[in-house]
Amino acid sequence: MAQPAPTGGSDRTLTMARAGREAVIAEMRKNPNIFVIGEDVAKLGGVFGTTVGMAEEFGAQRVIDTPISETGFIGIATGAAMAGMRPIIEIAFVDFIGVCFNQIFNFAAKTHYMSGGQFKMPLTMMIGYGGGYNDAAQHSQSLIGTLAHVPGIRIVTPADARDAKGLMHTCLRDDNLTIWMVHKRIWGLGWLGLPLKTALSVVPEEEYTIPFGQARIWREGKDVTLVGYGITTHHNLAAADKLAAEGISAEVLDLRSIVPLDRDAIMKSVSKTGRLVVVDEDYMNCGVTAEVLAVVAERNPKALQAPAVRIANPDVPIPFSRPMEDFALPDADKVVAAAKQTLKAS
Amino acid sequence: MTDITVPQDLWDSEDEGVILTWVYQTGATVAKGALLAELMVEKAQLELVAPASGKLTILAPPDTIVRKGTVIGRID
Amino acid sequence: MKPTPKQRIWMYETMLKSRLFDDHLFNAYWEGKKPVFHMGKGPLPGEMHQSFGQEPTAVGVCAHLGKDDAVGAGHRPHHVAIARGVNLKRMAAEIFGKKTGLSGGRGGHMHLYDNSVSFFCSGIIAEGMGPGAGMALARKMQGKPGIAVSYNGDGAVNQGAFHEVMNMAALWKLPYICVIEDNQYAVSVTPQESTAVRAWKRAEAYACPGEYVAGNDPDLIFEAAARAVEHARAGKGPSILELQTERLHGHFIGDSAGYRPKDEVEAQKDPIPLYRKRLLDEKVLTAADADKLDAAVKKEVDEAIQFARDSEYPQGTEALERVFA
Repeated sequence: MAQPAPTGGSDRTLTMARAGREAVIAEMRKNPNIFVIGEDVAKLGGVFGTTVGMAEEFGAQRVIDTPISETGFIGIATGAAMAGMRPIIEIAFVDFIGVCFNQIFNFAAKTHYMSGGQFKMPLTMMIGYGGGYNDAAQHSQSLIGTLAHVPGIRIVTPADARDAKGLMHTCLRDDNLTIWMVHKRIWGLGWLGLPLKTALSVVPEEEYTIPFGQARIWREGKDVTLVGYGITTHHNLAAADKLAAEGISAEVLDLRSIVPLDRDAIMKSVSKTGRLVVVDEDYMNCGVTAEVLAVVAERNPKALQAPAVRIANPDVPIPFSRPMEDFALPDADKVVAAAKQTLKAS
Repeated sequence: MTDITVPQDLWDSEDEGVILTWVYQTGATVAKGALLAELMVEKAQLELVAPASGKLTILAPPDTIVRKGTVIGRID
Repeated sequence: MKPTPKQRIWMYETMLKSRLFDDHLFNAYWEGKKPVFHMGKGPLPGEMHQSFGQEPTAVGVCAHLGKDDAVGAGHRPHHVAIARGVNLKRMAAEIFGKKTGLSGGRGGHMHLYDNSVSFFCSGIIAEGMGPGAGMALARKMQGKPGIAVSYNGDGAVNQGAFHEVMNMAALWKLPYICVIEDNQYAVSVTPQESTAVRAWKRAEAYACPGEYVAGNDPDLIFEAAARAVEHARAGKGPSILELQTERLHGHFIGDSAGYRPKDEVEAQKDPIPLYRKRLLDEKVLTAADADKLDAAVKKEVDEAIQFARDSEYPQGTEALERVFA
């Protein structure tokens, strides 16, 4: 498999898939304790191309095709982590965590704590999520809210290639259970849509990290704050363009790190604009959107000049049929309408 | 001067493909064998590598529909 | 117990129905996806796992089932649904995401449900085994006749659910059959690469019968299924029936299956023309009758697909309905 070769300074624009993989490969070359384990990761290179070429470079002992046994292999990887290895578990679709959630939330997330710090959990999970291409209720979920709700798990959701690489380096150097999650429609896979230009970015050749708990302002603005993560950051960007054409200046805040959450960044932006729209493809109830609103309500509700608006799945299983799926999932037009709503209601 | 042509052996059928991304921009210096672009035919994602070293000029931007044999760029 | 001529004709006819249905879907899938493949575009968006080559496993077992029975299938359900007698028009409409579909468009192709024939699907591997055994349990608790059959792939046997459900089904002597369709591939991974002991051999661990049927042959599958069905109906408990079959295409449409050795792919045989020829050779059907049958099946399938295409989409707001009863 070809790698973008060092060219002494020429910028490389990569997809999120390539950037993430570049970080994994770099870390694996340095640290022999890192191995990748999951379904179809070796021979196939991952259902979403996350591990293309890696079995060829690192061999079958370090890029391991498992049986369809999530409880089993997550448990096994967890034990390996406790004994000094550094596994990367691939779960192609976040929906599959249902099968093995006990291993994640009862064991892996709690072992460091319950052992009083005796056992570290240097374990990274690489997970794809999201819908919008008619894969129906069991293959389109986000479930970030579900995962974020359990203590002991760090969760990052890069929205472009540059962040994908930096956050993967951070995850692989952290001695905790870290989940690196990418919305399937922004990986850079052509078959889930021609690569979104805003998800591609120039990626430095050298290694770099992005800290946990650090959100990112993609676009500054003064009239309304649009908070999102993953694909909804891109909806927010598109919405900001449309709003700008109508003289409305929207600030696009990409959470980037769900756990820990950059509460200061949220508060800072809302204090500046006074208006808040939170956009999430996950279910509405008790989710990330609610947590963002809680930040403002707890720290300074007076910062809001109008009621905040949340856009998320209206608590329905994601329908297959296109008109219904479009209705249930967020998009740029819904964000535009919500932003305008906050500007009317004051 | 070397043309960057969609290779005849990049895919089997005579179907059209599409350029998904260019890794480098016009003016960049690229090395022979380096990954230059990603293409897609049906659902397969394919890699196109630089046929020579030198300075890149892109003729077909991302999202362009191409066939095998289409000249999509140049290396000088 | 060998199939009667009538049953054999039914098996051929039903396999053909599934095949023609899948042919239509295959063509429809590519509409809107050329020259640029986008999974979410066209009249059939999303993933599509088709049953080309696996039709015998559905007909050989379902030939024994009646209105009292229940059947669960997985993410590759078309042949099973059709063999079960799921309403073909409403099934097609569901796959096309139309309002007239079995679930009004909510489920899509791997979430097909038809309670009128006690048929359901599940999209997560082995997830449907428990529910299948549960349908068997309910019949036993209610003193009702009927058995339940779950269809799973060769990759599913390594899910914890397989062990848990088989253990309980055996312990409680549930009228349940676990059918494993061995098409030799779980996406890209073979049983040799994933499975220490094959499912049918594990039957001893559950003190229940286990059989492996090679050949992808409807008649042989019918005979083995007869044993499992009889065992279940007699209250003796579950069986594991592992059936060799052929996945003639990739895992889903768009999977070129480049991971399969070329000679292996070339050696694959299509079971339907083979069975048709056998029925003609054994004079179960005359050539004229076979042609007539083919035409009738084609008409039924064409009409079902047309019904689907002609039906309306649901309104977007219908997404909010049917979460709860």
